[in-house]
Parts: sequence; C-alpha cells; structure tokens
Amino acid sequence: MTAMTKTTDQLPAKQHTAAAGQYLTFVLGGEVYALGILNIKEIIDYGNLTEVPMMPAFVRGVINLRGSVVPVVDLAARFGKGCTKIAKRTGIVIVETIADSEEGNQQDIGIIVDAVNEVVDISQQEIEPPPSFGTGIRPDFINGMAKRDGRFVILLNVGRVLSVEEMSNLSRTPLNSEEHGDG
Amino acid sequence: MSFDEEMREALQTFIIESLELLQDMEECLLSLEDGDDPTERVNAIFRAAHTIKGSSGLFGLDHIVSFTHVVESVLDALRDGKLGISPELVAALLPCCDHIALLIRNVVDGQLDADPAISAAGRELIDELQQFLQPGSVAEKAVTVSEKQDILEASGGGTMDSGNWHLSLRFGPDSLRDGMDPLSFIRYLSTLGSIAQLTTIAENMPIADQMDPETCYLGFEINFKSGAGKEEIEGVFEFVRETSTIRILPMDSEIDEFISLIKELPEDESFLGQLLVKSGALTKRELEDALNLQGEGDTEDGGQAAKSKQPIGEILVEQQVVQQPIVSAALDKQKQIKDNKARENQSIRVDAERLDILIDLIGELVISSAGVNLRALETRETGLLETTGEMMRLVEEVRDSALQLRMVPIGTTFSRFQRVVRDVSKELGKDIELIISGGDTEVDKSVVEKIGDPLMHLVRNSMDHGIETADLRRQRSKPARGSLRLNAYHASGSIVIEVSDDGGGLNRDRILEKAVERGLVQHNAVMSDQDVYALIFEPGFSTAQQVSNLSGRGVGMDVVKRNVTALRGRIEVESQIGMGTTMRIHLPLTLAIIDGFMVGVGKSTFVIPLDQILECVALPEDTGDREYVDLRGEVLPLIRLRPLFEIDCEPPRRENIVVVEYAGNKAGFIVDQLLGEFQTVIKPLSKLFAHIKGVAGSTILGSGKVALILDVPSLLEYVGSKNALVPPSLSQHSAQ
Repeated sequence: MTAMTKTTDQLPAKQHTAAAGQYLTFVLGGEVYALGILNIKEIIDYGNLTEVPMMPAFVRGVINLRGSVVPVVDLAARFGKGCTKIAKRTGIVIVETIADSEEGNQQDIGIIVDAVNEVVDISQQEIEPPPSFGTGIRPDFINGMAKRDGRFVILLNVGRVLSVEEMSNLSRTPLNSEEHGDG
Repeated sequence: MSFDEEMREALQTFIIESLELLQDMEECLLSLEDGDDPTERVNAIFRAAHTIKGSSGLFGLDHIVSFTHVVESVLDALRDGKLGISPELVAALLPCCDHIALLIRNVVDGQLDADPAISAAGRELIDELQQFLQPGSVAEKAVTVSEKQDILEASGGGTMDSGNWHLSLRFGPDSLRDGMDPLSFIRYLSTLGSIAQLTTIAENMPIADQMDPETCYLGFEINFKSGAGKEEIEGVFEFVRETSTIRILPMDSEIDEFISLIKELPEDESFLGQLLVKSGALTKRELEDALNLQGEGDTEDGGQAAKSKQPIGEILVEQQVVQQPIVSAALDKQKQIKDNKARENQSIRVDAERLDILIDLIGELVISSAGVNLRALETRETGLLETTGEMMRLVEEVRDSALQLRMVPIGTTFSRFQRVVRDVSKELGKDIELIISGGDTEVDKSVVEKIGDPLMHLVRNSMDHGIETADLRRQRSKPARGSLRLNAYHASGSIVIEVSDDGGGLNRDRILEKAVERGLVQHNAVMSDQDVYALIFEPGFSTAQQVSNLSGRGVGMDVVKRNVTALRGRIEVESQIGMGTTMRIHLPLTLAIIDGFMVGVGKSTFVIPLDQILECVALPEDTGDREYVDLRGEVLPLIRLRPLFEIDCEPPRRENIVVVEYAGNKAGFIVDQLLGEFQTVIKPLSKLFAHIKGVAGSTILGSGKVALILDVPSLLEYVGSKNALVPPSLSQHSAQ
C-alpha cells in the first residue's frame, strides 16, 4: 500500500504521467476532477466542522473522524476559485497523503467537494498530457486530462494539491514569520 | 519470521538489556565507595559485565567481548578480594562503562565491527585497567585474559602435562568371559586423546590359587588428556557399561571450567540434572541412572514419600559421577534461574508504542462515553441514566489505570545524576554529595523523558553557582562537603521535583541590580522575592562574575523554563541567602489528558487549560472598546477572542472575562459563555497547523465536535507582539 501511494507521489517528478487505473470523479465548481482511488480512504457527508482561526481560506477547519482530528481543505479555494458553498450534496473525501517533509509519515486530509460522481476505469489511451494553461489551475496540480463521455476530466496530482508543507507555509502570516525570524 | 529478523529482534533486546545493565553497573560503581558492605554490589557489577560479555559473544560482537573481558577480569579480582576498592579504581571503571555503552550504541547504529578510533580509546582504558591487574603480588587467576593454558599452569601445579579427565574404571568380573578385553578399551581410549598417567588397581586380585583366570579383577585409574567431552569418553566404554563401574570426572583444575560453564548457560532449564548435562559435566546416561536410583529410593521408602526423596545432586555426588563444587555451582545457577523467573513474573516489558495506542483508544472511549452520557441525559430515562452513570465511572477507572501503565518512577532519572554530580564536582574541585529522596514517585514516561535536560541544567547550576568552595564554606561555618538534594513527591495531581542545595543562596540585590542594568525592571521597582527570583529565568540573565565552561553564560535557565513550560509545568524558586536555594518544578502527571475549562465564543467552543485560569468574572458593561479593565484595583489587559479568531457574529449582551495567568503575566480573555470544566483528551493537530499561534492542540467534545485548546503563553506573546496590548513588564504592574 505504501509502495503504491509512493508511486503516485513520485509522479510529479516526471511530467504528464497519469497512469491508467481506477479514479474517483467528483464535481467542484462545475468542473469534473478525478483522484486516483488508491489515495482515497473514504467519503463522508459534510458536517460538524470546527473552524481553525488564523488559517488561510482554503483550510476550512478540522473534523472528528472517528477520534482523529483531520484537517479539511477547500479545493476550490486552493485553486483560487473562491470558497465552496455548502449544499445538500456537499461531501468530504478523506485522502491519504504522505507528508513530503521529514519522516514521510502518512496524514489524512479531507477535501470538500460539491458532489461525488463515481469510480471509473481510465485507460492509458484516454489520458492526455495536461495543457500548460487554460484549465484555470496551476499546471503542477494536474497529472493529466482524461476524456470521459465527451468531456475532459482533470486528473489531480494529490502530492502537489495537498502538499502539507506548502499549505502550512502558506498559512504563516507575515507577523508569524517575523516572529520566526528571531525565535 | 526469518532468521535475520529474529536475530535483529534478539539484538534489539540485547541492546536494551545491556544499556540497562550498564546503568545498574554505573549506579553500583558509584555507590561502592560509600556503602557498608560492597560485596553484593561488586557481585552485581560483575554479573552485569559478565552478562554483557556473554550476550555480545552470542552476536559475534567480538570487540565488545574482548573489551568487556578485561573489565570483567578486574572485577573478578575485585570480587575475589585481590583488589581493594579505591576511588582510583572506580574512576578507571566508570569510563569503561561509558565505553561499553558507546560500543553498544554503535551497534544500534548498525556498526557491528570495531571502529579503529574507538578501539584506540578502548585500548587506553584497558591499559589503565591493566595497571590494577599487574601490581597485585601474582597475576594469578585474575589475568584470565588470554589463554586457557595460563590457568592450567597457574592452578594445576607445575609444568607437568596433566590431563583434564580422571577416569576411574572397574571392569566387571565377567568382562573377559564376555569377550571384552579391558586393554582394548584403553587402547581405543587413546585414540581420543593421550593418557597422561595410568595406575592399575589390582587390589581385588585374590591369591593365585583362588584366582579364576577368566575373571577380570582389574581396575584402572587414568589421567586422561583429551579435547573430547564426557559423553564421548563414556561412549568408549559402551559395551562394558552394564557390568563395569565407569566414573569419568573432570580433573580439579577443570572444575572451575565447568563451574563457569554452568554459570554461562542460558537460563531456560531449571532442572539440576539438565543443567549439569548441558555443561557437559554429566552425561545423559549418568543422569538417567541417578534418576532411576532416586526413583528406587522412593519406592523403597514407600510411605515416606516425596519428602524423603534424596536430592539428585546428592545422589550424583554419592555416585561419584560429578564433584561437589560442580553440583554446588549448578545449584546456584538453578536458584538464579528461579529468582529471575520470579522477577519476570513481576514485570512485563511492553513496547511503549502499544501503550500509546491503548491510551489513545481509551481517550476515544472517554470521549464517546461522554457522548453517550449526553444523549442519555436528553432521554431522561432513569434506567439508562443509571447504566450510563455506571459506565462513566468504569471508563474513568479504566482511564486512570491505563494512565498508570505509563507511570515510571522518577528514580532512574535521579540516579543518573550520581554520575553527573561526581564528575562535575571533580571538575569544579568541590566536594559535593548528592542526596536523593522520593525516587519512587511515579510520573508519566513522556514527562520523565523530557525532564532530564532541565534537571541537568538546574543541578549543574546549583553545583557551579550555588554551592561554595570548601574554603568559603568553612569560613561560613558550614560543613566542607556541600550537599545537593533531589527530591520528588506528589502534590494535588501534579508531581513536584525539587533541586536544592545548601549553598550561598540567591543574592536578591545583585539580581535586581543586574536586572536594572539590563533594563528588565525599573530602577525603583518594588518587587516580591518571587518576582526577583523569577528574573533568573530571563534569557541571557546571569549574575555570575565568572563564566565557567559549565554555566554562567546566562543560557540555560531560560531554556529550563521553556522546557518546563512546554510540559505545562512551572518553576518556583525559594532561597535564603547563605543557606541555600531550592528550585521547585511542578509538573502535570500526564501529558495525554488535562483538566480543561470550556468557553464558548459565537458558535465555537474553546478549551483553556484549567491550571492557567485564575478566575472568571463578568465583563463590566461600561468597558466599551477599552482594552483593559480594572480588576480590584489592578490593570487587567484584555484579549478579545472574537476579533482575534475572526468569528463573525454579534456578541451577546453579557460577556465574560476569563482571567489567565502565565509567568506572572495576567490577562483577560473575553468570551461569550463559560461552559465549565471538562476532562480534555489532547489530540495533536495536523502538521498543516504547525505555524498557527495560540492553539496548543485539539480535543473532541462529547458531542463529537472538535474543540481547539488555547495555548495561553503563545497567545499572550502573539497578542503582545502584535499590538503591544500587553506591556512587556507586566510583573511590575502586578507588584505596584
């Protein structure tokens, strides 16, 4: 299992190398995205979220997932497309990531999605390399584009999108970083 | 499990055990000089060294074996009284302990062979040790160092090539008739080794006319030298075994060998006979015979039953199959095994991680039972309430006993300081005695792990700055020997650790002077003793006129304070000039669960550690936008959690102030509701939140929602640095 997650984690090193396999597709702000199924732990309904103050907008807060406290990230906000509106079908997809800093310990992160669609098999010939622009999100977040039912599905790069290191650095307010300078 | 894995696990056990043994060894060494009867401790040290040597041999760590061997030799001489206990010897042995520990740590790092640099250091230590071994009248047995031959020469008497087995053969009278020629056996025997000496026993030979030429009357006493084992030699006489008496005994010089063999046996057999067979002093057949004999004795005695059963050891000696000393050694070993077994039953070594998982699970259980209780209260069903009440009580008990599992006595941490005090006092040229009390006070393992460093700072500080030199002490009519005390006890749900010295005490005036000089306090500030003493924990604060390599640079005490605070503890200083200083560290018993106080702001719930809360008061309605209130004549700066945490909703009509105190700084948090006390199971927050200030962690409420635990110190610091809401020298305010 670890080995598998590792391989997906290493993907960003090589460009557009989204592998064929099973993907979970979901809708976010009218766009369809997909995540490799191996990284996904479970899908739960949105609710009981505790906000954490002094964090950037894309960190919505934390939830209690059977006793462990899991941070929840708003992907739309992370992509710079504004905060997700909570609706009836809003769900949280719990994704397993490998912390890219030291020990490489595994860490669960929840992402808010408008609606979860289905699990699909995507074959290699369906996958196109990501365009360098035009998707409206950072190119390094994308592993590839897959054609499904006449429209494109964006295959996300979990390692980059949910990089704990990058996100926690973003959450440093200027004042905090000042303090870090002398501390 | 593959062999490799097994070995790795075994190696792990070896490392842990060895390090523990080394610690014991060090403790014993340190107490050698002052104790009344050192025998037991010398034995303990010897045993420790011996075990380490034995187990390292098992793993093929030859460099450890060879080094430990020399240490062991010295200890052996000490044990036999050939060497006296002297401070020099202890001083020479202590670094050896360290060296062995170093070697073992290198093994941990995967370095299984000797490192040239380290072995050079090892050789120096060995040379030093040799000096203790050499001057003794004769090197004798103490130098069991290199070859076995030496021992033989030393104890076996002269250069005569003596054998190592004594064979006593009495051939049965029918041997010749059965076609067994005694001489052929002896000839065959000589293929196994060399017969050093042979005496024919012909006492049974009758006078000529009564002699039957077909009967064998002969017996032989043979001094036999061979590398073969007893079993093998016995095999030679296989065919005459039934009719003849065959005794195979090790020579006296070899008895020691067997005794040491017995001592080195792995501790898995607890039968005397088995032990002897394992060591090779007894063959299986001999044991069987002896057991049969024992059985016979039993049936003969009939009614007297088991009570009169002759011990196997006695039988063996009577039958002359083994000598008394060997049996005694085996008996000792047997006893040791039993003792160890008994000890094993008392404690089980458990992986700390497993315990952590258990504690985590129990934390969840506490949370979910709180949830159940909440629901039960809503139903107002008496039966349900009763059962949940009972369950809550049980869960609390389970939680307490689970937390108990992680408790370890602080004594092990304390005893480490024996060595520190010894070394540092030598370095400083002071005579300082360490008195330890309350070592069996128990505290959470995680606390013990983290308290070592702060304690080290305090101890060094006391020794360097607290305790005066012997001359000065005499002038002040104090005993020349300074004393440092480490004490621990439980007080109201926390553990208190005291480091006290009978030195010069803190000089209040000098501290104040220094503080004014550094601009920490105003010139004419009136401060309580406590406040003044607290200044020594300020970063970079030092009143020492001399900077030694131990302390005096002013780093250290602030680190102590920071470490203690990180453990949610606090330090108190009590000092009397000329009489000494006592540093008192108060620490929570556990880090996993705290007493919290819940407050509500808007829809959010926060938990504030209860021990940092002084009181709760209603916010005066006329406060308006002011950032301070008048709390019984004292200025209390306010921190509004609502804007700080960007909680946007209208504040209620009545708000409350939670007055918190940290390091003498008081502040008031403005919150909406006070929700009461709450047993808080701390859940770490994700790394994602590593940079946020003011939040120490999270917990899960009975409702299943997550609540954030406020980090009072960092919140105060954050707000203070943000808009200087909290004056930096608050302590003056409180004192004025």
